[in-house]
Amino acid sequence: MPRPDERPSFEPFPLEPGKTYGLMAVVPARTPACETRTEEQVQAWPAALVRELLLFVVTILVLSLAALLFDAPLEGLANPLHPPNPAKAPWYFLGLQELVSYSAFWGGVGIPAIMLLVAAAAPYMEWRPGGEGVWFHKSRSAANWIFLTVVGCLGFLTVVGTFFRGENWALVMPW
Amino acid sequence: MSVRKVPTPSGTDSTRAGLGPTMRTLPRRLWRSIFRSNPLPRNELERSQAVANNFFFHIPSAKVHEHTLRPATTFGLGLISLYTFIILCVSGVLLMFYYVPTPEQAYDRMLDLRGAVFFGTFLRNLHRWAAHAMVAVVFLHMMRVFLTGAHKPPREFNWLVGLGLLVLTLAASFTGYLLPWDQLAYWAIVVGTSIAGYAPLVGDEIRFFLLGDDVVGREALLRFYVLHCVVLPLFISALVGLHFWRIRKDGGLARPGRD
Repeated sequence: MPRPDERPSFEPFPLEPGKTYGLMAVVPARTPACETRTEEQVQAWPAALVRELLLFVVTILVLSLAALLFDAPLEGLANPLHPPNPAKAPWYFLGLQELVSYSAFWGGVGIPAIMLLVAAAAPYMEWRPGGEGVWFHKSRSAANWIFLTVVGCLGFLTVVGTFFRGENWALVMPW
Repeated sequence: MSVRKVPTPSGTDSTRAGLGPTMRTLPRRLWRSIFRSNPLPRNELERSQAVANNFFFHIPSAKVHEHTLRPATTFGLGLISLYTFIILCVSGVLLMFYYVPTPEQAYDRMLDLRGAVFFGTFLRNLHRWAAHAMVAVVFLHMMRVFLTGAHKPPREFNWLVGLGLLVLTLAASFTGYLLPWDQLAYWAIVVGTSIAGYAPLVGDEIRFFLLGDDVVGREALLRFYVLHCVVLPLFISALVGLHFWRIRKDGGLARPGRD
């Protein structure tokens, strides 16, 4: 119980000793906001499961359509005596093959190993909370820019290796 | 748990009567032995049970956050990766019925698929395009996770599992690339495996271990076949299970304003 001289000068009603007083407010909402996290949850059945099933159907349809419209490549029987020029790795390794054309060790071993190690270390370096679940969160712009730069370089090298490399790995125009 | 009561064989008059009641209650008892809760739920409790009591649904939680369901949260890329993997397993097993991993027969079997096997071309096309799609979608999924900060604690270990899955996906695609045994396949693997030879000190040993020989030939085809059809899919399945289980254990998908 505070001393009389510490009391506020304005009292809307006489305060009773032995009781605690809180300030309440009326807000426009459908339910008491005591546990909001629960209110933002929905039943996985059917909300999530129906969406997941639909996505499966769409994936099957798109791939089936591709399989009906486009034939997988099949060249002549493998002949170890007649290498094509240029011989190219699968498309997802063409960025690395492009690097290999500059330096065999760095392109084939060094840079891929470093990229994997840095990727593995990323969440342990960037460990402070903030920006989770938000696309391009401002607080993470540095990390995102580094990541996008690496991805951009790899994408650029892959495009060059796929479309702009001809005989003897010389730079050619694809048209 | 709402396990409904079913007639038990012990002590009731109806069971003493013999075969009749046993057969009459059999369908119901069989059904209850498989489904402990209503597979077509009618209320909130049964909807929760439908997820929690189902082996195939038990990894996702009975309730999900609205943020998780928004298409722009993930674009469904992780699920599409899983779906392409399932499509690859099914179409791959069907292709295994026709394929023989020897240099003499492999290419002929490709021609058979095109000319003699019912829906063979479709099967091979589907497997091929699904494989390319899986590599691309797994990579896009990784980009999504990083750009939404979903790899940060407490999900950092699941990011490592995902990196493992990326490497396994590339390995599965690469080993499958050799199997048609045409010029495209052969020389892509010659180029790809020669890269392994550039590793310092042990490069040649790694390459020999992969190929079972100094050149891409009979042994390499058999090794890539076994890796592609057995070893890598098993490892991928195990890691996918761990990956999904960790999503749940790490509190569902990353969302803003939670921690």
